[in-house]
Amino acid sequence: METTSEPPLDAKSDVTNQLVDFQWKLGMAVSSDTCRSLKYPYVAVMLKVADHSGQVKTKCFEMTIPQFQNFYRQFKEIAAVIETV
Amino acid sequence: MLLALSEEHKEHLSFLPQVDSAVVAEFGRIAVEFLRRGANPKIYEGAARKLNVSSDTVQHGVEGLTYLLTESSKLMISELDFQDSVFVLGFSEELNKLLLQLYLDNRKEIRTILSELAPSLPSYHNLEWRLDVQLASRSLRQQIKPAVTIKLHLNQNGDHNTKVLQTDPATLLHLVQQLEQALEEMKTNHCRRVVRNIK
Repeated sequence: METTSEPPLDAKSDVTNQLVDFQWKLGMAVSSDTCRSLKYPYVAVMLKVADHSGQVKTKCFEMTIPQFQNFYRQFKEIAAVIETV
Repeated sequence: MLLALSEEHKEHLSFLPQVDSAVVAEFGRIAVEFLRRGANPKIYEGAARKLNVSSDTVQHGVEGLTYLLTESSKLMISELDFQDSVFVLGFSEELNKLLLQLYLDNRKEIRTILSELAPSLPSYHNLEWRLDVQLASRSLRQQIKPAVTIKLHLNQNGDHNTKVLQTDPATLLHLVQQLEQALEEMKTNHCRRVVRNIK
């Protein structure tokens, strides 16, 4: 998942979108308008996806630590399956 | 200010003197209902059958009346101007008086309805905020970077949508200063004079 200036096209790119960039950050929410004293860690992910015409769209989302651990586990499973193929 | 009625409009309205005043009053009521709730073609057919004319004639008559009322209300023309504008149609004294009364009775409500047709920008509904501290990112570990995340709830024509924004505390302070400055403007002599004149 390298950042390239032009998304590498392959046979599937007419149908699905290409992942162009995957940025993440780890933050901790310390205060909000509903709760003045928080200690809430989260992972924020910013995905850049290019469709078949080359237009890049950005999608941001946040995950709690348990959600992120589940997310991570999915990728570990994918990697494990790839090993066996 | 006089209304300039097109030839087509005058033709549509020429149906009105052919029926008696009770019918014109009923058409007036239908016209205002049309503005409140939208057209109902079934009413035209029923009236056409009763009056023994085509439903197109009835529809044109009512629409002509509606347009007369909306244009007069839009421009807020005076009684005298309304009477003069209608005079060119060559209607009877009685019909002219009826139309004038119809205009004066419904003017305020029609203006309220017309004011709702102006385009509306999204308006503020609610603001939620959160103070975050960024501890690490893909490119840099061991950070302490404060940020404010804001969820702005907006209303537009009845639908809600939200925008999520993020900024650092310095920019937020600047934003707050700019907004306070905008509010301060209300207290200047110029603004006070304008507001007094509108009231």
